[in-house]
Amino acid sequence: MENDIVLSSKGLSAGYGDRAVLRDVSIEIRRGEFWFLLGPNGVGKTTFLKTVLAELRPVTGEISLHGEFAGRDAIGFVPQRCDINPTLPTTVREFVLLGLVGVRAGAAERDERLSWALDKVALGGMADKDYWSLSGGQRQRALVARALARRPRLLIVDEPTSGLDLSAGYAFLKSLVLLNRAERLTVLFVTHDLAVAARYASHIALFLDGRVEAGPAAGMLNGESLGRAYGIPVEVCRETSGIVHISLAMNGEGR
Amino acid sequence: MIADFFASWELFHHAYLVGWLLAFVLSVTGVIVVARNQIFIGAAVSQASTLGIALALWLGGMFAGHGLHWLASAPFLSGMAVIFSVMGALITAGGDKAGRESREAVTGWVFLFSASASILVVARSPHGVEEIHKIVASSIIGATFADFVLFLAAAVAAAGLAAVTHRRLLLLIMDPAMAAAVGMRTRLWGGAVSVWLGLVVGLSIRSSGMLYTFGCLVLPALVAKNLCREVRPMFLVSPLVGVGAGVAGFVLANHYDYPPGQLTVVLLCLALSAAWLRRRVRTS
Repeated sequence: MENDIVLSSKGLSAGYGDRAVLRDVSIEIRRGEFWFLLGPNGVGKTTFLKTVLAELRPVTGEISLHGEFAGRDAIGFVPQRCDINPTLPTTVREFVLLGLVGVRAGAAERDERLSWALDKVALGGMADKDYWSLSGGQRQRALVARALARRPRLLIVDEPTSGLDLSAGYAFLKSLVLLNRAERLTVLFVTHDLAVAARYASHIALFLDGRVEAGPAAGMLNGESLGRAYGIPVEVCRETSGIVHISLAMNGEGR
Repeated sequence: MIADFFASWELFHHAYLVGWLLAFVLSVTGVIVVARNQIFIGAAVSQASTLGIALALWLGGMFAGHGLHWLASAPFLSGMAVIFSVMGALITAGGDKAGRESREAVTGWVFLFSASASILVVARSPHGVEEIHKIVASSIIGATFADFVLFLAAAVAAAGLAAVTHRRLLLLIMDPAMAAAVGMRTRLWGGAVSVWLGLVVGLSIRSSGMLYTFGCLVLPALVAKNLCREVRPMFLVSPLVGVGAGVAGFVLANHYDYPPGQLTVVLLCLALSAAWLRRRVRTS
């Protein structure tokens, strides 16, 4: 594997039991790229993430990660939600430090990583707070801090902004972009928010009922590709400033 | 009261020590059960263990006279108790999955089947029925030096495992999806936890009965849950509460001539009520 290739899949098929969800997926992700995984529900985005995380084995084909991820301590994962037993007592500190399981770190380094991760998601100074006293958005950010505490070089996020308000979502994405640019953090980001993808993606993978079309964002974000993925007419307009507008093409309806 | 207790030490010290060691092992294990919100599993596994003992008694009654004397031995009874509690723990271990029966329903099935079948199996044997009633009611008098050594080893193992694996255990019980994502083999870990639970409960049932086993498994951990701000210290507070209640229960039971297992469980229930009250006062 080339030195800056973080993840590579060739002819990958995966699924659950006899049901194939992904078919013949070939994709190559390099260090420092910011990938958005787009597509309607049930087309294989989460299945792809599970395969990357080795929770699912490929049925055919292969998926390989760079050697530095063999021990998993350089991978951070932010799930859609976290179903902790709500009667269980825990603090923000304990919750975030769970992210360090499998990472060798002394007490001082753990504290340092905890503070760093909490600062990144604007929860600095809240380590000793009762986790259950946090708002929904703050809990979502704690979930992200838990992944960041690993100081990952590959961050996998599964619809993390769905529970965040506008400002929290913006702050979170900005912190990811900063990490992506300053530390060449590779990001795999699943979202339904095409505007967010248009603004931040360096690359896009469009999931179309088990198959994947992937490439640089500029080439992928067009009405034809998005229309094929979502099964509806989509209009994409690019301003000279680089801002991309994505909207449902009305084809004269309702105008 | 204390002098009375020390006076009884020579006669009952093995039973006291075994009772406290069991309280320690069960209350450490109970943190996992309570943290996963699987309290009823503790009851079902205890009941499954009782079914194992009932079957062992039945087999002993049927075949011990035909040269198979080992079928009536204490190790065979303990072995059957452990095998059935491990089976019960593994059956109830599966997570809730769409399209399948819920874990709670499976746990209910294990509890009800074991409770009914254990009586039916020994129904025609007066000695067997008496033994099953004794197990369900709990009696911790009669422990031997061998029991003491066995449960001392179990206590050392529980403390060692909790100390070495508590971070991974915490992640496994609080967020299995994240545990899988960081490379933990969650099925293997879940299976190991179930086997440990079954082993501990199965060994305990034979020596202390169902009430004491189930009480020490869940009540100290529930008290700890209401006293602690985090899950991690529960692994320290729970055994402190369990052993503390065991010591107080045995001293009081000796002085007032009550059954020690039941008295310990009542003390733990009172401690849990106090912990609930404290929590309510603090949060109101």
